[in-house]
Amino acid sequence: MTQATARPLTPYGFLLPALLVTATVILYPVAQTIVFSLQDYLLYAPDDARFVGARNFLAVLKDEVFWISLRHSAVWVGGIVFAQLALGLVAALLLNQSFWWRGLARALVIIPWALPSVIIGLMWTWIFDFNTGVLNDVLMRIGIIDQPQAWLAGPRSALACVMLALVWQGFPFFAIMILAGLQTVPKELYEAAEIDGASAFRQFVHVTAPAIAGIVATAVLLRIIWVANSLDVILVMTGGGPGYATHTLPLYAFLRAYSGMEFGYAAALALMLTVLLLAIVWLYVRRQAKELDA
Amino acid sequence: MKRRTFVKLAGASALAGGLSAPSIAQGVATVRWWYHYDNPQNTPAALVAKFEQANPGIKIQAEAIPWGGGTDYINRMFSSVVAGNQPDCAMVRLAYLSRFSQMRALEPLDGHLANWAGRSDISDDVWKLNRAPDGKQYYMPLHYVVIYLYYRQDLFQQAGLQPPKTFDEFLACAKALTKDGMFGYGMRGGGGCHDNWGPFVLGGGASFEKGGMVSAKALAANRFFVEFATKHKVVPPSAPTDAFRQIVDGFKAGRTAMTIHHIGSSAEMVAALGDKASAVPLPRGPGGGGWTYFGDESNAIFASSKVKEAAFRWISFLSGAGNVEQAQLSGQLPITTSGGRNWTGHPKRFVDASFASLPIAQTLPDHVKTPDFVGRVLPTNLQRALVGETNPDEVMKAVEQLFHG
Amino acid sequence: MSLRRSALQTFVQVEVPVLLILAFALAPFAWMLLTSVKPTADLALFPVRYLPSRLTFEHYAMLIERTSFAVNLLNSLVIACGAVLLGLATSVPAAYAFSRFRFAGRRQILTSFLVINMFPIVLLIIPLFVLMRKLGLIDTFVGVIIGHSTFSIPFSVWMLVSYFNAIPRELDEAATIDGASRLQTIRRVILPLIMPGLVTTAIYVFITSWNEYLFAMMLSGQTVRPVTVALQLFIGEFTVQWGLLTAGGALIALPVSILFLLVQRRLVAGLTSGAVKA
Repeated sequence: MTQATARPLTPYGFLLPALLVTATVILYPVAQTIVFSLQDYLLYAPDDARFVGARNFLAVLKDEVFWISLRHSAVWVGGIVFAQLALGLVAALLLNQSFWWRGLARALVIIPWALPSVIIGLMWTWIFDFNTGVLNDVLMRIGIIDQPQAWLAGPRSALACVMLALVWQGFPFFAIMILAGLQTVPKELYEAAEIDGASAFRQFVHVTAPAIAGIVATAVLLRIIWVANSLDVILVMTGGGPGYATHTLPLYAFLRAYSGMEFGYAAALALMLTVLLLAIVWLYVRRQAKELDA
Repeated sequence: MKRRTFVKLAGASALAGGLSAPSIAQGVATVRWWYHYDNPQNTPAALVAKFEQANPGIKIQAEAIPWGGGTDYINRMFSSVVAGNQPDCAMVRLAYLSRFSQMRALEPLDGHLANWAGRSDISDDVWKLNRAPDGKQYYMPLHYVVIYLYYRQDLFQQAGLQPPKTFDEFLACAKALTKDGMFGYGMRGGGGCHDNWGPFVLGGGASFEKGGMVSAKALAANRFFVEFATKHKVVPPSAPTDAFRQIVDGFKAGRTAMTIHHIGSSAEMVAALGDKASAVPLPRGPGGGGWTYFGDESNAIFASSKVKEAAFRWISFLSGAGNVEQAQLSGQLPITTSGGRNWTGHPKRFVDASFASLPIAQTLPDHVKTPDFVGRVLPTNLQRALVGETNPDEVMKAVEQLFHG
Repeated sequence: MSLRRSALQTFVQVEVPVLLILAFALAPFAWMLLTSVKPTADLALFPVRYLPSRLTFEHYAMLIERTSFAVNLLNSLVIACGAVLLGLATSVPAAYAFSRFRFAGRRQILTSFLVINMFPIVLLIIPLFVLMRKLGLIDTFVGVIIGHSTFSIPFSVWMLVSYFNAIPRELDEAATIDGASRLQTIRRVILPLIMPGLVTTAIYVFITSWNEYLFAMMLSGQTVRPVTVALQLFIGEFTVQWGLLTAGGALIALPVSILFLLVQRRLVAGLTSGAVKA
């Protein structure tokens, strides 16, 4: 490939493999889902599906559970991503220092992330268990509570408990991503700052933060999308209950799709979530436009 | 790992198929069968070997599908039907019969059954339960469980109580045994709560007929059930999200004196509590009516199968000569009368309680909405009532709305 | 960030906080490990029993001997490695193009990679199953790996674009002036520099694929069944095999941790000082 002749088409050549694989696999299912959302499609009666236009979407807007789930989704995404980022950032900065067992610490911190969601869900359910849970036992021993609490059955505590499990699972992601980002910060910059007598905090604000900002922003964006769509841990821990207390949008769509097999309605619910996420991405892309086009 | 062990393991994973391509040899029919057993160490390999020896022209490819709370198994099955990749036969539940019928996915078995000698060894009641609305038999009954009441013999004795025969006695027992951090009744309000709700609400006069959920009797029965949690507080505070794992653990740990489940958990209960754990049929309602859940499992043949005759031979073997062995693998009760008579797979007191529960045992209605009732509408609405977020009557209105619009 | 710190300072300012974070990260896992070496009778007890009444490895033995778990682990390894290879092979060139070229539709294509990941997978899975069936890829390694590429490629592209962008473009130009071709520049200059990013992305894809359940459940049969699906077989309708489940969890986390222990060195080796000065 000579650069002179291939120039205008070169970037597309580089893109082709990735586009080809994703497009073959994902285009058809996505198109299908959009078609479902415009029909009263029931999985067990595919032949009876009729085109209903925007009726599913209008029904979604009138559905009380949609709004409850949406509110929970906002709390869910905001809370989890923020906590994961904060904890991950601290962990990454610490694991970037040199101490003799750093390699081991880095390998151990990844463990929560290395476990399948179904195990995480079951373990945390068991930890939170009213009768045989270790959390109640520990808290009672150290005197924080005087009788066992039904953590997962409390309409107010249930969502927080499931979120804690997800924060635990996902903070190593940020730790590792940021740790990799820190490696791109030239050491010379710290040396220069040191000579200028900058404090550790000022070094972080003026040297570290700007250098990793792009990577952190991308990681946050990807994480928002991932957390917004994740439902397996909720499904295992509470199934969305008690009542609607841990219903998030994908969970509600899941229940409508698989318990009711109402694929039309569920697809409309899912697409509402997609549109909301698109708005976030749009904001991000606009903000990052300068960097993206840099 | 030594190569030999690896080969052995690979063989175990491929158990009776999976790795082997469908046979194309003349006269050999390969039957793909999907199953789920609770215990992953139990495999149908021995059963398959026995069957294949007796039927040299048939190969069985048995594939374990994860149950995943029911969703995964069903999801996989319906996707396969949509994609045209379904097995020849599979374990199925009555709750999905309507949906299968609507898709015309299953083969009626009536022609095969007419000439099957084993038919009379399965009781007429079971055949009736399994019959589709169009009068045909699509399901070959396989094994079953019946929901009954587990209670702590020792605690009842200490308190001078008898196992409850009526709802009021049940409440009295639950109140008497709720003390010192122990709860009278380990209620299941999480996934699968219909098997705790049904005995009191359907047994107390509610029905799935039009208007049957919102009659005065039905509303009162549901209120009685919800008040175990909200008024009398005889259930653990965790009850709204407790599923089978939690109610069984709570009972095993000695934190509840009664709980409602079936013979499938008896082995665990006995391992933890020995003779202290026993069982009786569920109490009856004010009018003497009662209801308990018949947990069914059948095999069905898919209409798309090219080897229906061979598939029928396999599933009729499982419900006939192989039924007792099959029930040992699944941990449930054999469906055959002869198999049930001398059944030793569980301690006798639990088998007796199961048999004694049969007169009031029923399935949920054969309706396309039933899975939605079990999986979403009942749990969410019941839980809201149990934590006091809504009036108990809302549960009944929601169920009525689901089935009758 | 002080380069000169006493041993005591390191201990108080770094090692103690690291220990605290590790305690949070590992406590539930430690509980799981402890559970996996307890006899079944110790499990559902009130009050909670912390130490096993006797140490037992029966769950591990059962897992290896009586179930197909060892084969499932191997399947998972094949699938995860395949997902990493496919993911990196397609996204490194793509990310390079996004970072180094300006072309029509660039921002739209980049954004559309993200949009792909915004649809809840639970709804895509049935059409995907139908598609895979048509392609004849059900119950094959290729099928599951391609399934996993739906989340690994978009993620990898985006992460790698960030890492590529962090490398000053002057380096490429300097190399080109020295007479290196584009591919030579990529191989000799750019790739070594983004090694931490590459390793991180590979780890991400590996772990996500290793832990993925839904695609694996739908697209694999008995032939290529990975551990996450096998694990689900321990959760029956009426029993949860706690012993097997926790032993399985320990065995699942182990390879990932070892792998990371091996590759984490690469996380510092990327930018050797001096390279940036160029």
